[in-house]
Amino acid sequence: MLKKASLFLLIAGLGLISCSKDPISDLSTEESLVYVTNHDQAANFTQYKTFSIVDSVLVVENNRQQTALTDLDRDVLNRIITKMQGLGYKYVSPKSNPDVGINVTWVTNTYLNVVSQPLSSYYGGYWGGGYGYGYGYPSYYSYYETAESYWLVSMLDFKNPNTANKTFNVIWDAQIRGAGIGERQYVDTMVDSIFGQSGYLKIN
Amino acid sequence: MKKLIIAAFFLAGFIPAVAQDAPKLYTLPSPFERYTHYLATLRFAGAMPLGSFADSYIDKASFQNASISIEWVLRNSPISIGGEIGSTYFQKRLPRALYQNGNETISAVQTRTLSQYPVELFGNYHFLGKTSSIQPYIQVSGGVSILDNVLYYGSLSSQHQKVAPKYGVGLGSKFLFKQDGSVGVDVRVKYNGTAYKHDYIEKGVSSLNGSIGIFYRWW
Repeated sequence: MLKKASLFLLIAGLGLISCSKDPISDLSTEESLVYVTNHDQAANFTQYKTFSIVDSVLVVENNRQQTALTDLDRDVLNRIITKMQGLGYKYVSPKSNPDVGINVTWVTNTYLNVVSQPLSSYYGGYWGGGYGYGYGYPSYYSYYETAESYWLVSMLDFKNPNTANKTFNVIWDAQIRGAGIGERQYVDTMVDSIFGQSGYLKIN
Repeated sequence: MKKLIIAAFFLAGFIPAVAQDAPKLYTLPSPFERYTHYLATLRFAGAMPLGSFADSYIDKASFQNASISIEWVLRNSPISIGGEIGSTYFQKRLPRALYQNGNETISAVQTRTLSQYPVELFGNYHFLGKTSSIQPYIQVSGGVSILDNVLYYGSLSSQHQKVAPKYGVGLGSKFLFKQDGSVGVDVRVKYNGTAYKHDYIEKGVSSLNGSIGIFYRWW
């Protein structure tokens, strides 16, 4: 009797533990978006007057790069121009020596994950008799892939280049992550948010 | 007609039960008094976060908690000892806000969650006898809690898992449906403390847990 009770307890316990919840299933697309911004604390943004922006979006996929200009990309670039102008910067052509340059990148990272099949024989223990599963075949590994994409917007300081190693400092950058980043209807929300939380960019 | 037949079936089950309540021929003490017996309880609980855990992480009450316990009610003693495993879950959603992470500014809707799977041993001290239909008790328990702390920023999550020591102090009572019967209701209020620190949780996880359960005892 005792043995049966313990068995019941164990099975019920495993049942409880295996009930997993998805606490973010009720998030709206807009709510799922995450904006991460960072800036050079030493940078004084009032010294910059003009800006330019790349004419297409850089697409980085697992370290391979190419450029693209879809409708979505065009919306993002245009909205950034509007917001920068609203903050007091003058939009100029890349040839007229802008003070800052804006790069827009779509980054996709793909990860390969491994899981051992079948799962450990440990879980088979409650079939009784003290035996675990005996497999008549060797275990193998299966793979699944997860991919994560995000927007990366960076602002480069063209006014104060590092002459020594010929690089430009990133003085501000923003990441946009979450569901919905590839949908045109959220472009304004996304771009407005990254500038909205970076009040120090305002020069007018 | 059909209804009548069904009613008759119910009565057929009921009348013999009444008949069995005839005076007892033997006055042997209850087997629950004569033997060390087993008692299993299934509980559902509401939990209220307390203290710094409520202040700094989640202060929302939760009703997604359950546990199963089995205990050995000792003969000639007011004490029972047993084990309990359970599942508790706290969650809180915060509207979009800005968070500072080093130099980074993060704007996100935070969903804070904490799942706990406590595994503990407990001892109960009963104030009244085993044949009493109301059996108040106090409980002291100790064990470990398997914690799964997942903090979501929008749809991104950061997870931290740990097995941490926990303890509990409770006050409850069993109510038997029938004098000397084997099934009843269990009501318990219990304080739970878990020694866990991570990120927002700086001084452990504490909560007050009120449960209602059903138990079955046998020997």
